[in-house]
Amino acid sequence: MSEAEVTSPPTLHLSSGPHIASGRTTAQIMWMVNLSLLPALLWAWAVFGWPVLAIAASSILGCATAEYLSCLISKTESTLPDGSAVCSGLLLAYTLPPAIPVWMPFIGGLLAIVFTKAVFGGLGYNIFNVALVGRAMMMATFPVEMTTRWLTPALGNVDAVSSATVLAQIKLGGPEAVNKILATVPDGGHLWLDFFLGMRAGSVGEVSVLMIMLGAAFLLWKGIIKLYIPLSVLAGVAVMAFFSPAPTIYMLSGGIWLGAFFMATDYVTSPTTAKGQIIFGLGIGLLTGIIRNWGGYPEGICYAIMLMNILTPALNDWFRPKRLTADGVPS
Amino acid sequence: MSLLFWRKSALPTFSRGGVHPDEHKELTENLPIEDFIPTNVYLPVSQSLGPSAEPLVAKATKVKRGDVIARVPGGVSLHAPVSGIVKGVATGPHASLVYDTVITIQTKPGDDDPQFPEQPGWQALPVAQMLESIRDAGVVGLGGAAFPTYRKLALPKGAKVDTLVINGSECEPYLTCDYRLMLEESEKVVLGSWLIAKIIGVANCVIGVEDNKQPAAEKMRQTIAGLGLEKMEPPVKMTVVVTQTRYPQGSEKQLVQSLTGRLVPKGGLPLAVGVVVQNVATAIACLDAIRNAKPVMERVLTVSGRGIQSPRNLRVPIGTSVEDIVAHCGGYTNDLVKILLGGPMMGRTIADLDVSVTKGTSGLLFLTAAETSITRYQPCISCGECVDACPMGLEPNRVSQYMEVGRPLETEQFGVKECFECGCCSYSCPSHRPLVQFMQVAKAAYRRQERKTK
Repeated sequence: MSEAEVTSPPTLHLSSGPHIASGRTTAQIMWMVNLSLLPALLWAWAVFGWPVLAIAASSILGCATAEYLSCLISKTESTLPDGSAVCSGLLLAYTLPPAIPVWMPFIGGLLAIVFTKAVFGGLGYNIFNVALVGRAMMMATFPVEMTTRWLTPALGNVDAVSSATVLAQIKLGGPEAVNKILATVPDGGHLWLDFFLGMRAGSVGEVSVLMIMLGAAFLLWKGIIKLYIPLSVLAGVAVMAFFSPAPTIYMLSGGIWLGAFFMATDYVTSPTTAKGQIIFGLGIGLLTGIIRNWGGYPEGICYAIMLMNILTPALNDWFRPKRLTADGVPS
Repeated sequence: MSLLFWRKSALPTFSRGGVHPDEHKELTENLPIEDFIPTNVYLPVSQSLGPSAEPLVAKATKVKRGDVIARVPGGVSLHAPVSGIVKGVATGPHASLVYDTVITIQTKPGDDDPQFPEQPGWQALPVAQMLESIRDAGVVGLGGAAFPTYRKLALPKGAKVDTLVINGSECEPYLTCDYRLMLEESEKVVLGSWLIAKIIGVANCVIGVEDNKQPAAEKMRQTIAGLGLEKMEPPVKMTVVVTQTRYPQGSEKQLVQSLTGRLVPKGGLPLAVGVVVQNVATAIACLDAIRNAKPVMERVLTVSGRGIQSPRNLRVPIGTSVEDIVAHCGGYTNDLVKILLGGPMMGRTIADLDVSVTKGTSGLLFLTAAETSITRYQPCISCGECVDACPMGLEPNRVSQYMEVGRPLETEQFGVKECFECGCCSYSCPSHRPLVQFMQVAKAAYRRQERKTK
């Protein structure tokens, strides 16, 4: 019946449409986030030395081990290649003091994955940011190591910060502490520049605002994150900076930049609509300030994000996308 | 992203969502329409939405091109697309219904085959008679929906319509048949549009063409200027508007918004905002029906994809089998994995080559593994890409989550019933979730429930 010979029939796939895809995959997104975190790690290595790489490796190993084992136990295909466990491990490492004993991040990573992700059903089902729960659990488990193992940066002028982060000093010492810090800066030095570049004490991945911005710019360019959440987090913190004796330092220290661009923007635990994201971000910023100014900790971004994570499902219900069709019009 | 790099096109488009997949139109856009008549045609009697047709012929009946061979009582007819002998009326495969009654005709052209000359005085026929001609010619929406055209054009009493939109968007990737029709038969498109405008009684007609089909827009403009529609009776002001290339520009509600700025209300038709939309190929079919008393017997479709040796734009009789088209186009390649009827966004996969072309088949695509996506899906990571991509402002992510835990009847709150299955959500999902399919299953659950409560 046919003009030309039809060769042996092919194996045809049947499926519902659409039959083409944008090409973006979950694994791609996760690995691009990991890539965007590297500048901050490189900077940490430059100012704090080799230990930070050991911390990152230990934390990633902890997360990966837990991820691998939980897939093994639940008899599902290993989700290690999707890069999300590595991402959690890196982020957890970034929130730790650079001189913490190297075995502790491993424990933290293990606990984080098991109790935040695996028991909830794996990727996509967690309620809280995995890395931050890891940090919170480590604060409870290793309170001394988590708050005292700081290192003096190898670069810069701020040498009064070898034992504690600037926020802790200000919290304990008030305006006098600010004057003391300012006195350590030689004439012609710019304290804010040291903070912006990352020549200060602090957690592994949070110290350089510039490096975090570099990574964030990459994610923005790739369309992986949008600015709604980070900008509103920063706006919220900025409001609370009015209550600080040193607003510039307040804005440039601590983990708000890392938190705003890399943790609050976690897809799984943040709202999906622009309005929801703005409220979510503002809430994080304001809560961070409340904890910093009047709470028990010098830094509050970790708990602020976790608190707003709880609100995410509600925010998704309250702030819905706008339907195209004019409702209520008789048709 | 939009906050960082503000990019604004001056061309009109719909207000939210949409995607821009790789177009792949280069495979066939420069290939003129070719005729192909197979030895046998296999005509499923169900060719349009609504009740199915009754066959009027039996084995060994001799038919002439244009003879009515099946009819929906009081509705559209199916005509013999070729002259020849009926070889059988039996159950056979159907593109979307799985099985249907199929009339097989062996082609045997004769010297006395009808030629469908121009009918004298066709321009001045009364509207009721024009509608009858359209119905009797078996005209249905040729853009893919296959809704009987006479029913769409017979406006309900009291309907206020002021604009006719002619859809030349062809927003599905790969497909180029409407583009070729606008280039090669622009005069028929324009005259057909004028007839439709006359039937529904409007003086304003807008032809929407996407930005990536500029030559067609230009050709249409020239043709309109050359025909002098303002001087015809009744005069119709016809304009070509170039829209942004953005899928699903060719969807009725989106196109109406792009061209007129009007929002079609929830659950309503464009009619509710005074607009009737017709596809370019349907306009040609209406002209053929009224000017030449020529029924719908053939259609132009795009045969494309990297899985077929020589992609083409073909004019084939309704009922031409996929197998014959494959043979005519040089066979498929070894890495073929999917055959689709329609475009890659909304088309359906077929399992066998014995399926045949119906009136609604606008494309026949042969996709290789590299062109299509065959992957297992993963959990929702709540990235919100589907929410951003949805042109209707729905929440496919949440529908899918409810479906996964078996709660289909709680998904109306996320807009399931407004979904027209364009596929933008699944297309943009990084976890490859079958979001459209979840929507379809949810809608089916609501239909079942409605039947039960009746």
